Amino acid sequence: MKILTRKPSHIIASIVIMSAILLLIFITAQARATSTTEFVAPSSDVAITEVTGIEASMAAMMTAVGQAPPAPQTDPCLHCHITGEEKGIWTPLSRWMVFGSAGLFFAFGMYRSASVWRTRSHWKPITVRTAEWVDERYQISEPLLKVLSKPVPTFALRWFYCLGGMTAFLFVIQAITGILLAFYYKPTPEAAFASIQFIENEVRFGAGIRAVHHWAANGMIIMCIAHMLRVFIMGAFKPPRELNWVTGVVLLLMTLVFGFTGYLLPWDQRAFWATTVGSEIAGAIPVIGDLALIFLRVGWDVTAETLSRFYALHVIVLPILLLVFMMMHFMMVRRQGIAKPL
Amino acid sequence: MAAITPKEHEESIPFFPDHVKTEAKVVVGMMVVVLAIATIGILSPVGLGDPADPMNTPMHVKPEWYFLALYQALKYIPKTAGVVIPLIAVIIVTLWPFIDRKPDKSRKVQRIRGIIAAVGVIVFIIGTIWGEVS
Repeated sequence: MKILTRKPSHIIASIVIMSAILLLIFITAQARATSTTEFVAPSSDVAITEVTGIEASMAAMMTAVGQAPPAPQTDPCLHCHITGEEKGIWTPLSRWMVFGSAGLFFAFGMYRSASVWRTRSHWKPITVRTAEWVDERYQISEPLLKVLSKPVPTFALRWFYCLGGMTAFLFVIQAITGILLAFYYKPTPEAAFASIQFIENEVRFGAGIRAVHHWAANGMIIMCIAHMLRVFIMGAFKPPRELNWVTGVVLLLMTLVFGFTGYLLPWDQRAFWATTVGSEIAGAIPVIGDLALIFLRVGWDVTAETLSRFYALHVIVLPILLLVFMMMHFMMVRRQGIAKPL
Repeated sequence: MAAITPKEHEESIPFFPDHVKTEAKVVVGMMVVVLAIATIGILSPVGLGDPADPMNTPMHVKPEWYFLALYQALKYIPKTAGVVIPLIAVIIVTLWPFIDRKPDKSRKVQRIRGIIAAVGVIVFIIGTIWGEVS
């Protein structure tokens, strides 16, 4: 008796499926009954009865010139002709889909019932099976649960605690859009400008991707400074969190260098002269000024080598460094917990 | 699940799924902003200036807005000082937690730090605006 007491949702679902099947049968039957197209033999047979062979076809072609072309072969399928069935693809396809999936569903149900009966245990869904299979090999569930079950203090739910996370999110945006831009960008003085014009005018969504990269870079700096001010004012840098503050300052400086190197890449007048002036300022540092200038420009002028160097810094060196420092920053937050406000 | 003591439990929520849900909301909100920027960017692209020409110095050279205040200051003070002062400022900011070590006792200390931060931000904003209009 227990097998008859199903959940109401099961009953509703089976009613819906059954009515869908019945509706489909009804519709196809209707379509067959109303369809009037019968197999019609090509009318050109009648014209050619006397002559045979090549002459016959030639004559047929000659007579056909200037007239309507002969009726196309309308019935290529002998089986369909004999059974009188519809020749469209959608009717058999939908039948196979509906009855086939119903059959698979039924077969799966039989297998599942048999399995539950045989093993005397609950059925495990495929998701659970996959998770267990992976966990047997990687043994990840225990540390993962430990990480996920770490309690978050309620004071950290105020809005100004999400500024650092927003900076990290914007960095992810920058990484994704930056990779997309790097597919098309060419870091040489001859091609850089044209490649960005190509990105903006030819590449699908190129202008949007570039706009996101451009504005999210500015947003990242604003968020970074906002997060820093929050930490500064609330005193979240107090011992034992000094090193986290130091890594945070390094992250801000690296973000600024990101902006500085990225600014040259379009290789327009603004970019070129901003880099010239910027590296000149670096050259004014006492003692190591000239060294810094030559390191930035690769020589005394801003040239193709400068562009190559800034590109390498922007897409390889800085991302790796930033990721390392981000990891340190986040791991320390996780280890030490979020600083308790006053 | 890890054992959470009752006292801890009172003042905290689980990271998963409660806090993750909150974070997901923030992420969805930011994605909306990002998609809006992308749409605006497709309609009116960021654009480019004239191609770089080392022979032709334009009249107004301006760096990005976050270097603009420093750039403006460099017009009025000697170059070496204009580089050394920001460097010292960065070093002080980096080493701030080693200077200001005592745990906060009252809101007064925080207010003082807030005033310091506000002065810094206001000076920065004034410098940026000045650099933008000049």
